[in-house]
Amino acid sequence: MLKSHDRFYSEDGKRLVLIVEDEPVNRALLSVYLEDEYDVLEAEDGVQALEIIRENQSLLSLVILDLMMPKMSGQEVLEIMQGSDELRRIPVIVLTSDEDAEVPSLQQGAADFIKKPLEKPAVVQARIRRIIELSEDTYIIQNTERDDLTGLLNKEFFYRYSELFKLHHPSWDMDALVMDVNNFHLINEIQGRAFGDRILKQIGERIMSRVPGTGGVAGRSHADTFLLYLPSGTDYEELRDMLMEDLTNDLSNPRVHLRLGVYRETDKNLPMERCFDRAKMAADLIRNNYDRGISLYDDNLHEQDLKNQKLINDMQKAIDEKQFLVYYQPKYDITGEKPVLKSAEALIRWKHPEMGMISPGIFIPLFEKNGLIQRLDRYVWKEAAEQMRRWREKFGVTVPVSVNVSRIDMYAADFVPFLKALMKENEIKPEDYFLEITESAYTENSVQLIQTVEELRGYGFHIEMDDFGSGYSSLNMLAEMPIDVLKLDMRFIRNLHNSDRNTRMVELMLDIAHRLGVIAVAEGVETEEQMLDLKRMGCQRIQGYYFSGPVPPEEFERFIEEVI
Amino acid sequence: MLSIDALKALGANTEEGLTRCMGKEEFYFKLIRMGLEDGNYGRLEQTLGEKDLEGAFEAAHALKGVAGNLSLTPLYEALSEITERLRAREDADYPALLQDVKTQRDAFAALCED
Repeated sequence: MLKSHDRFYSEDGKRLVLIVEDEPVNRALLSVYLEDEYDVLEAEDGVQALEIIRENQSLLSLVILDLMMPKMSGQEVLEIMQGSDELRRIPVIVLTSDEDAEVPSLQQGAADFIKKPLEKPAVVQARIRRIIELSEDTYIIQNTERDDLTGLLNKEFFYRYSELFKLHHPSWDMDALVMDVNNFHLINEIQGRAFGDRILKQIGERIMSRVPGTGGVAGRSHADTFLLYLPSGTDYEELRDMLMEDLTNDLSNPRVHLRLGVYRETDKNLPMERCFDRAKMAADLIRNNYDRGISLYDDNLHEQDLKNQKLINDMQKAIDEKQFLVYYQPKYDITGEKPVLKSAEALIRWKHPEMGMISPGIFIPLFEKNGLIQRLDRYVWKEAAEQMRRWREKFGVTVPVSVNVSRIDMYAADFVPFLKALMKENEIKPEDYFLEITESAYTENSVQLIQTVEELRGYGFHIEMDDFGSGYSSLNMLAEMPIDVLKLDMRFIRNLHNSDRNTRMVELMLDIAHRLGVIAVAEGVETEEQMLDLKRMGCQRIQGYYFSGPVPPEEFERFIEEVI
Repeated sequence: MLSIDALKALGANTEEGLTRCMGKEEFYFKLIRMGLEDGNYGRLEQTLGEKDLEGAFEAAHALKGVAGNLSLTPLYEALSEITERLRAREDADYPALLQDVKTQRDAFAALCED
């Protein structure tokens, strides 16, 4: 194992700092102030900055960020960084010539600011040095290097030490391994948490004794997920057999089944986290498969990974070129004799110039992971609001539209003002603009989140809880949550006829909605039978292929024409 | 000829500018040349012509930051003036304000020419 360091820097002993400034003169000045003491990277706009930040996320000590820039502003970069678990750690100093911008930036998570015109070099340098020290100290205080339970490195430190290991052994081929216990949550549930902890502890100890003497880095990421960065050439079948045998002996429990995802001979140009993402992709292929214990990151997965990366890289361009299309799916009121169009849900589609139509199921998780989801969501919000205005102008009626809100959106400082401005610009009443927030976002039960939702409701927005039934909201929590509409998770609707249990679940959820005095919407309704069943059970609104799938706005107009 | 005396004569605070460049005269001159060639001057003129006050504000604001860092005081002042008007989206005499900026910039640019 590597010995402990209490500071982070690259091979030549310098910390890494990124300067983000669109003006070459300002960049050159800051660069000269920093170059003796730090390794300096430069970016000239927000988009480029984010790319560099992602590539160097575990080594960067500081980002110096201009606020006003073309393509993507400093505020947006800051917001995306704050919204990302991996990037939030990196301290940001904002550059500003406007006193007014200082307070909002600090509220948004900037560590400090530097004024333009710049003060004397020594003053600027001292300011930068102080913020780096401060952030490293805080980081070390907040993050002990090792995981209490297993004694291995925790995730953050694991990645940093692995980066250092790579720097110290540039010629070695290295493998990335993600290891976990199949169905660990069942062990925890059935045999108790204490027993689960004993298993994890034992795995930690055995990893330390069984991993070959050539060295490497070992850590635990979370729950039962272990990370190993090892020189290539190790026989992992053998390693896994030994570990499982050890566990059987230690715990007299034959049922601990280890699962390994291996990315061999990692690409040295790839950031460490990405190498382990690849190993994890391999591991996920054999989830719940007891016949296979080891899964390799192979050509198929590589192709998939490259595709994913391409999508991530293409996103900004796709927004600029309007490749993202917003489709609308009607929601019908079924309480009367005939179903009546009530509103629409705005859903995103990606028409990629090379890859064709891409399902949101593929690209949304990618953007959720890297924080870009905020930009995408806002794009949809804006499109939907403008579409409502166009329909009003054309048909003289308002079609209420619901849009999806990701958990991360609600933590942005200008979230509420953004929506308010959008309503004003398009002359929309907030009551006609529905915000769908997924149930799982609520289960965090964060005070800030609840307050934000209250604020939105206070302003008049309707809040829909999406995917109700998929998460873990307790009845207690539900009663306190600020919502207007419950949207039943579509899985229950799909299986409505296949099982009595599902029918009872749906009845129960409809009853909850009724008692809370909120409207219930069922999505994923495909057949008349389902529709009639739901109607009988007291469901008021319905969305699904029975009426129509999501369609382009022009096509949606025929539904509007029916009601006017 | 670009020289400290010539810059001073035009009203630049060269002492401050040099300090900011860590006392390196050549570096200071290099940055001045770079700053006066800034594409945002063209953008300022173009956006003003198109009455795109937001774009003009962004360009003026960026130029102001650069002129400030180079301590080209009269140019900085002209840019500050137009930036503040643009920030408030005021209905000001922008052609005249732009002319002030250009006059100041041209004066400094003339030093760089030979």
